[in-house]
Amino acid sequence: MSMSRSWLASRHAVLVTLLLIWSLAPMAWQLISSFTSSEALVNGAIPFEQRWTLIHYRELLSSDPPFWRYLLNSTVVAGVSTVLTLVLAVPAAYVLAQLPLRWRRGIRRAVMAAALFPYVLLFLALLELARNFQLGNRLFALALPYSALAMPLALLLLTAAFEGLPKDLDDAARLEGLTLRQRLRWVMLPLIAPASASTAILVFLFAWNEYPIALTWLSRSDLLTLPVAMARIAGSSIYSIPYGAYAAATVLGAIPLLLLVLLFQRQIVSGLTNGAIKG
Amino acid sequence: MTLSLNAITKTFGSRTILHNLDLSVGNGECVALLGPSGCGKSTALRLIAGLDQPDSGSISIDGAEMVDVPAEDRRIGMVFQSYALFPHLSVRENLELGLRMRGSHGAARDQRIKTILEVLQLSHQAHQRPSQLSGGQRQRVALARALLRDPLVYLLDEPMSNLDAQLREELRPELKRLMLGGSQPVVYVTHDQQEAMALADRIAVMRHGRIEQIGTPRELYHHPATSFVAQFIGRPQMNMLNADNGRTLGIRPEDLRLDPNGIPCQVESREWHGASQLVLLRCERGQLRLVCAGDQHIGENPHVSWLKTSEHFFDGQTGKRIDNQSFRFD
Repeated sequence: MSMSRSWLASRHAVLVTLLLIWSLAPMAWQLISSFTSSEALVNGAIPFEQRWTLIHYRELLSSDPPFWRYLLNSTVVAGVSTVLTLVLAVPAAYVLAQLPLRWRRGIRRAVMAAALFPYVLLFLALLELARNFQLGNRLFALALPYSALAMPLALLLLTAAFEGLPKDLDDAARLEGLTLRQRLRWVMLPLIAPASASTAILVFLFAWNEYPIALTWLSRSDLLTLPVAMARIAGSSIYSIPYGAYAAATVLGAIPLLLLVLLFQRQIVSGLTNGAIKG
Repeated sequence: MTLSLNAITKTFGSRTILHNLDLSVGNGECVALLGPSGCGKSTALRLIAGLDQPDSGSISIDGAEMVDVPAEDRRIGMVFQSYALFPHLSVRENLELGLRMRGSHGAARDQRIKTILEVLQLSHQAHQRPSQLSGGQRQRVALARALLRDPLVYLLDEPMSNLDAQLREELRPELKRLMLGGSQPVVYVTHDQQEAMALADRIAVMRHGRIEQIGTPRELYHHPATSFVAQFIGRPQMNMLNADNGRTLGIRPEDLRLDPNGIPCQVESREWHGASQLVLLRCERGQLRLVCAGDQHIGENPHVSWLKTSEHFFDGQTGKRIDNQSFRFD
């Protein structure tokens, strides 16, 4: 009994370690590469003490425009997209959760279809829109397609969160004399905070990573978002591939997200499991 | 203050939950809606609260029509079966939220909350979350919230069904003191006939969306209008025997007595409850439950009889009461 249990435990430990290596190794590789000199990256014979450098970071931050500019652009776009999405999706999800089951099912299917639609197929159409409404080369305008594309997923998650709240709570708050606005502000929103936090992270992440729309909507180099800037770094020279600079950009680009996730870790985990239980 | 429901009908899809329900509750009166689950009693409560809308009929409080008044503005003090306390707020904040939103401020509000916490012995729990409270404490917070609503009507939806038997007995007098003392009409939904008998001035026994009978606990006990009411009120259940002319004869277990000249029976099983005992008997006409004092000796083959005045006759088909000329009740 105890033998089989310890055997099981060690097997789990091995599996977890393998999984961690599998998912963390690329990031560790990038982190190490970002501090490795360009010579050392292609020449393994260079001795260990002479391999390390900060030159990639220094170059990134002193280029024109400096790399932090892209970080700022992406933060602004992702932040605005997230706020816009939540502001629209939270009330919509509340209303959706109140509808009769029959309607809810139909609407949920439509929203699900929209959430699963490969948005890359839309980018030409979106480019037309950008041209017609002169939305090109405007940073805030990017938040419009981003919010629209993130909306279906946000709706699904938030509707599930509202459906998970006991109906009695809303009823009790009504009988206490609270208006709809007061109920949302003082009862419903605090209770769905975990789901809102995980939704916000997912929307932010989507906007942070989005490439094709940003590539086609933005051309001015001081407006580029992170993924587009990264691609430019990677393709900046036909003679060499700037592994080191690219790795440093990866590290800098990941830091804000890591901070965000660490900050909201508890809400995210409880928000995701909450959704999992509701189905 | 009075509450009255006139010809209320409510359907969900093709199912009719309430048929033409009439009910009036007087000043300070407590009426219990008693019935099995699915009889429509909770639906009736939600309609009075304004949480659902009736298909037709009217609901009025003090003569003012309420059907078009939203739940927020009806001034209803309701206690939910689930308590429905706000889980993210402390006990104090739970009580404060409604008052604050309704525009009550400052020292007067704080004093009201302090007083009610003291009255309900919750002062030490003021800063705890509902999840940290026991069932009885949650129940008292729910009561406190309803009391602070300054309601025109109190509605209680199975307020004690999640508590254990001992706690229920402890809370009953408290409930009586706090809610049933005022001038507000109280509607109390329960499936527990003992609770209804203990708390209500009148009981409305409901079945399939209709009120089968409404009356004081004594009226229902001594003069049940149907065999359903007869079996729902009083524990253990009334004995039902087939009588002549397609009638059913009902005799309460506590009206049976040992009598050497009575009908012969055999003991099938016994339950001893201390002060009383319940004996299941088999006689020629069927099964009989007998309740008598706990210390009484009953052999294996007792003979039992009953007084003519304790007989209840019901129509075997409709279940309606057939009044016996010799019948008297007090």
